[in-house]
Amino acid sequence: MSDSDHDHAHAQPVLKASVHDISYLTTLLRGVNFANRATITATGSGFTVTVEEARTLLATAYIFADIFDEYVYHSEAAPSQQSQDDGVDNVAFEIPLNTLIECLNIFGTAGTHPSSTTSGAKRWKKQGEDKGSDEEEGEGANNKRRGIAQYFGAGPEKSTGMRLTYEGAGFPLTLLIAEEADGPTTACEIVTYDPEPHLDLQFRPDKMILKIILKSSWLRDALSELDPSCDKLTFIGNPPPDGVPPATSGRPSRNAEVSRGTSTGKPMLRIHADGTFGSTEMDYPNDRDVLETFECEQSVSFSYRTSHITRAIRALQNSTKTSLRIDSEGLMSMQFLMPSPSIKSRAGADAFIEFRCLPLEEAL
Amino acid sequence: MRFRTSISSPQTFFRIIQAIEKLQKKCIIKFSDTEMRVICNNDANEGGIQVWSVIKVDSIFTNYRIQSNADNEITMLLTAEALLSALKSASTTAETADGDDVVLKLAKKNDQAVLCFEINGTTRLGKSMRVSHDVKIEVMKPTDVASLKEPMCPDPDVHILLPPLQKLRTVVERLKPMSDVLAVSASHNGSLKLSISTDSVKLDTEWRNCTIPRMTREPADKDDENEHDPEKHFPVLVSTRSFLKFLNSHVVSTTTIACICQRHCMILYVYVGDYADAGGVLTFYIPAIIDGDD
Repeated sequence: MSDSDHDHAHAQPVLKASVHDISYLTTLLRGVNFANRATITATGSGFTVTVEEARTLLATAYIFADIFDEYVYHSEAAPSQQSQDDGVDNVAFEIPLNTLIECLNIFGTAGTHPSSTTSGAKRWKKQGEDKGSDEEEGEGANNKRRGIAQYFGAGPEKSTGMRLTYEGAGFPLTLLIAEEADGPTTACEIVTYDPEPHLDLQFRPDKMILKIILKSSWLRDALSELDPSCDKLTFIGNPPPDGVPPATSGRPSRNAEVSRGTSTGKPMLRIHADGTFGSTEMDYPNDRDVLETFECEQSVSFSYRTSHITRAIRALQNSTKTSLRIDSEGLMSMQFLMPSPSIKSRAGADAFIEFRCLPLEEAL
Repeated sequence: MRFRTSISSPQTFFRIIQAIEKLQKKCIIKFSDTEMRVICNNDANEGGIQVWSVIKVDSIFTNYRIQSNADNEITMLLTAEALLSALKSASTTAETADGDDVVLKLAKKNDQAVLCFEINGTTRLGKSMRVSHDVKIEVMKPTDVASLKEPMCPDPDVHILLPPLQKLRTVVERLKPMSDVLAVSASHNGSLKLSISTDSVKLDTEWRNCTIPRMTREPADKDDENEHDPEKHFPVLVSTRSFLKFLNSHVVSTTTIACICQRHCMILYVYVGDYADAGGVLTFYIPAIIDGDD
C-alpha cells in the first residue's frame, strides 16, 4: 500500500456507518461470537462477519446497509482495479470480535444477554403458537423483543447510538458510542488485522438432497436438550410418505395425524445424538406446523460434531425461521432469519446468519 | 469493657459491611463515643486498596453505651463475612425495626469474646421470634491500635463528583476482561475519563459536566498553573479489579467524590446518606500503578 493510498483513505474512510440503537447489530454479532477472530468484509450494500472453527465450521452474519441510519462505503481500490476483482468490490479485515461486542455493550445497553433471552423467547413461543401466518409470527417476535428491551431499560427512548469508522487497511476500527444525548460517551479504537483466507465451503444448490424450513424455536429446543456428553449428532431425513407432501397440504391437523401414523418407522426428520452415556433421538412429525417445507428425494444421513452444531444456539435464540439444507457431500447449511426490531428496516431485507458445517469423515 | 447498643438502621450497617466485604477477610472495627470506624488496611489484599471509614453513631445506633479503659474506645478484629451474615439476618428479620428490635452487645462466651446480635422479629404468621448471632472477635491491644495509621497522601490534583456508581460499574465490568490496568483521569472543568489501552483495543469513556466540589480548604499555594488550564486531565493508573471492588460500595453510596493524586493514588469518599448531612463516609485509597513511562 503506497502513501498516496493512505492519504486517500484518510480523506474518505473506507467504511462509515452509524446507528441510533445498537441492540440489533449486537444481536447479530453475538450470533457468530464463538471464535475471537472474525473477518469483516464490507461492500456497498452492507457487510458480512465471518468466523471459522476447526476448518470445519464457517459462520457468517449478513448485515445489510439498511439497518444503519447512515452507511457509506468508499472503495479502497482504484477504479481500474475494481473491474478485475470478480466484479464484487469489497474490503476485508480481521478484528477481535469479542472485544468489539464488549465495546458496543460498554453501557450494558446493547440488548439482552443470551441467558436472559431464553426465558423471553420461550414465553413468546407459547404466545405465538396459536398464530398462523408467518407475518404475525414475525411481529410477535418483534414485539417481544421490544418488550424485553424495555424490561432491561434499553427501550427506544433510551437507546445507545454508535458511529463506526474504518479508514482502511492498517487503521484501527474506531467506534464512538453514546448512551444518551447528555450521557457519557465512549471512543474506542480496535486494532484490525490483515484478513486470513477462510475455509471455502460452497454449498451447491444443484446437489442439494435435503431442504427443510422450520420455526427456529423447534430446532433451538432440540439442540438445547442435548446432553453435553453427546459428541456426535446425526441428521436423518427420509422422503415423506406417499400422498400429499406436507408442505403443500395446507390442512394441518387431520392430515398430519394420518401421515404421522404411516411414517412411524421412518421419521421424516430425526436428530440422533450419540454420547458416552447413551443416545438420544428426536423425531419431527410430518406436520406443516412443524416442518414448513420439507424436500427430500431419498434417505439422507450425515453426522456432525455436536459442539459445532450447538454453536448455532445463540443465533437461533434470536431468529424466527431456519432453513436447513444438506448437499450430497454432506455439507450442511443452516440459515437463520434474524428479524429486525425497527419498522424502517423491515422494508428491506432482514439480516440473517448462516452456518456451514462439514460432516464427520466416517459418515462419508 | 462494656458495649451495648440497639441497631436502629440494620440495613445501612449491612450495606456498609457489604461494600467492604469483598476487600479482605478480616476487618477492623473501632467503636468510640461518637463514631464507628471500619478499617480495611491489609497490605496483602490485591491491589493494595484500603478503606478507612467513619460512621456517626447516631446514624446507625440508638441507646449507645460504651465504656473501656482505653479512652472509651474498643477496637476489634473480626471476619467481615460472619458480620455480614449476622447483619443480613438482622436487616431482614427486623424490617419493622422500631428501636429495640436488634441489640448488639459485647459478650464473652466460653472464654471467647463475641459480638452478640439479638434480633427480635416476627414470623410471617405473626408470631414473635428471637434470633441470636454470635460473631467471634479479637479485641485489639491499645499498642496495636496505636500503630494503625491512615495512608499519607499529597494534596490531590483534582476533586470530582462521580456519576452514579452503578453506571460506572457497568462500564468497568466490561473493561475488566479487556485490561488489568485502568486509567482514571479528571479535569477541573468536570470531565471524567475511564480509559484502557491494550494491544488490541484503546478505549475512552468520558463523562462531561461532572460537578467539581468546592473545597473548604483550598490548596492555594500549589497547582496554580494547573488551575489555569481547565482542560488538563490528571490521570492515575489503578488496578481494574481494585476499582471494581471500590464500586461494590454502590449499594451504600449517594454521593461519591473522587480525588486524584497523580502518580500516587486515588482517594474516593463515599458518603453514606445525604451529602450535606452524611451519616458517615467511607474513604477508599487505591494506590497508583506506576507505569514505566509515567
